[in-house]
Amino acid sequence: MKETIDWVTVQKEFLDNILQGDKEAAIKLAKNTLDTGCEPLEFFEKCVAPSLEEVGKRFETLDIFLPEMVTAAEVVEQVNTEVINPAVAKAKSIAITSKGKILLATVHGDLHDIGKNMVALMLKVNGFEVIDMGVNISPSDIVERAAREQVDIVGLSTLLTTCLPYMKDVSDYLQGKHIRENYSVIIGGAATTPEFAKQVGADAQGNSAAEAVEICKKIMQVM
Amino acid sequence: MNDEKYEMLLNVLDKAENGPVLDENEWDKKYIGETVRNLISKYDIKWSLKDQFIVSTYDNLADRAFEAGMELAREIGVYCVDTKRQMKFSRQELEKSLAILPKEITAGTGKDTVTVYKRNPEDPKRVAIWGGPFGVPVAEELFKPMMECYAREPLIDILDNVSLLTTHGRPIRAGAPTEAVAGWQEAVTTLELIDRVGRPGLPLGCGSNATTEVGDLANTTYGGFRPTDVHKLSFISEQKTAYHHLTKAVHFAQTNSLTEIFCNTMFGGFMGGESGVVIGVVSGLILLNACYLGDIPNSGPTHVHLSCSTHPGIVSAMSIGFQALSRNTNLLIAAHTRPTAGPGTKDIFRETAAYLIANVVSGASVVNCTQSAVGNNIGHASPLEVRFGAQVAHSAQGLSRKEADKIVRDLVGKFADIQKEKRIGKLFTEVYDLKSLTPTPEWQAMYEETCEEMRSNYGLKM
Repeated sequence: MKETIDWVTVQKEFLDNILQGDKEAAIKLAKNTLDTGCEPLEFFEKCVAPSLEEVGKRFETLDIFLPEMVTAAEVVEQVNTEVINPAVAKAKSIAITSKGKILLATVHGDLHDIGKNMVALMLKVNGFEVIDMGVNISPSDIVERAAREQVDIVGLSTLLTTCLPYMKDVSDYLQGKHIRENYSVIIGGAATTPEFAKQVGADAQGNSAAEAVEICKKIMQVM
Repeated sequence: MNDEKYEMLLNVLDKAENGPVLDENEWDKKYIGETVRNLISKYDIKWSLKDQFIVSTYDNLADRAFEAGMELAREIGVYCVDTKRQMKFSRQELEKSLAILPKEITAGTGKDTVTVYKRNPEDPKRVAIWGGPFGVPVAEELFKPMMECYAREPLIDILDNVSLLTTHGRPIRAGAPTEAVAGWQEAVTTLELIDRVGRPGLPLGCGSNATTEVGDLANTTYGGFRPTDVHKLSFISEQKTAYHHLTKAVHFAQTNSLTEIFCNTMFGGFMGGESGVVIGVVSGLILLNACYLGDIPNSGPTHVHLSCSTHPGIVSAMSIGFQALSRNTNLLIAAHTRPTAGPGTKDIFRETAAYLIANVVSGASVVNCTQSAVGNNIGHASPLEVRFGAQVAHSAQGLSRKEADKIVRDLVGKFADIQKEKRIGKLFTEVYDLKSLTPTPEWQAMYEETCEEMRSNYGLKM
């Protein structure tokens, strides 16, 4: 018989575990909770997701810094890999733990990546599957990878005005291959503006990692 | 460049090719993140902005910060993103690169020559003013009138430039021939302009339109930027270099060009908060010097969300970091002003004042002002905030750190809570008259009111 779970206590303990980078404790807590009869999806929705959201909020206010956010995201990935996903497979239930699949890249000519990396982290902690191509990525490589991975969203980043033309190239290449309608394209980084997004036919432009998450959530609700 | 320094530079290149192979994610998280946390604890780099100080007066804290930064530099070194290798420097190599530093250098020529002095905390020696828009993007048609306004500011010792949105009507692509075109346009136009305003020897910060080595290598040559101008090299955060920076280092060395070498530690990033930024500033500038053998190491830490360098935590961290370096090295350190606010607001003046006072009393040799509205809002910059910054910086020469702390605390109280509003203010064309090339009466009045505020509230001789 399924036990009653004190989610407030469990979630607090889970949050502490992931902030401290205590992978073993987080995995043990997840296993113990599932052993009480809890469904894996319920554990994800009532414990993992709110914990990650809290991590994101604390980073926004800089109550924690980037290393803590990276650590938390890594612990959650391990919990997903070792506990939740196997439990889901065993139960043969269709569990949607990913809100969507997004490809991220800093475009050609630009080596800056901290903003993009923050977006990647915030998307992960908010339940998105993220493929991060890194920096200085050519438009053709971005388009090819997007098609191969069958992503939902292509996210492009640049700090530099001189790299904006390469964002336009991505849009042009997608149009040229007649596959533009298969993806949403979002852009970000200090050099980008909403006006530029309109010019190149991007679906949205964001100014922060938090904004990127909201944009992606909105896009996936529509799709 | 002398043979000894060139040999040192060649050894740096060897490190990029032969150092241990490392994963970049591991670099950020373990090598930077974990090590910095341990050093904060080991050297007790902690203080309270609220209860203790913003501008530090503690010499022993500065000296501990120096040791912490030196240890990070020695333990971690630099990461080359192109070869994926760690470039380690021994303590001996780091100390040698610091020992060969001169106590002053000159930039520019003729009557426009400026001497950049090594300064100590509370030093009355003159601080050099590197003034300009620092790459704020502007429309091509505004390039000449805007830069003429900056060039006319007499307090600017080194002039920095705008970043063009187009070159000869064409979009500029990083790494493409158009980057070379834009670089040449910047060089030729600015050299003609300073000649026209009667300052032909004024040193120029170059190049604001060079994204990759293409732009810089194209125009640091005959008819382009001169050896007496100040050329730029940088790290990518945190403590990372790339082939294109190392290539430029070689070129600038062979052309005997002055260089500014800069790094922007991320506040809230892998170095953490204030304490980590202290260590990042010290380590970063020591390693910049060892890696590029440049002339003016510059720090302008960046707030991870606000993108400014004037957040109170950063101001405080810079004061400790700069005291650490000025007390223990001859580095000609430069502080880079990047306020959240833009022209047409009083906030830009207050943010600039707080940042510059803290850094001048902490031993900055050069102050860079002002990369207005964090430098990425098109057309949001004006020379008047540079004039103001120069006046404040000169007024802070000889001020005690204790006095500076009182002033900075009061100023911070006026802008800290509103920085998140990102008051980018007005466009250059809204605060300057394009016919007379002077500030509008409204902007001039705001500047004069704030100057009077500095005089009457803080006793600064503006």
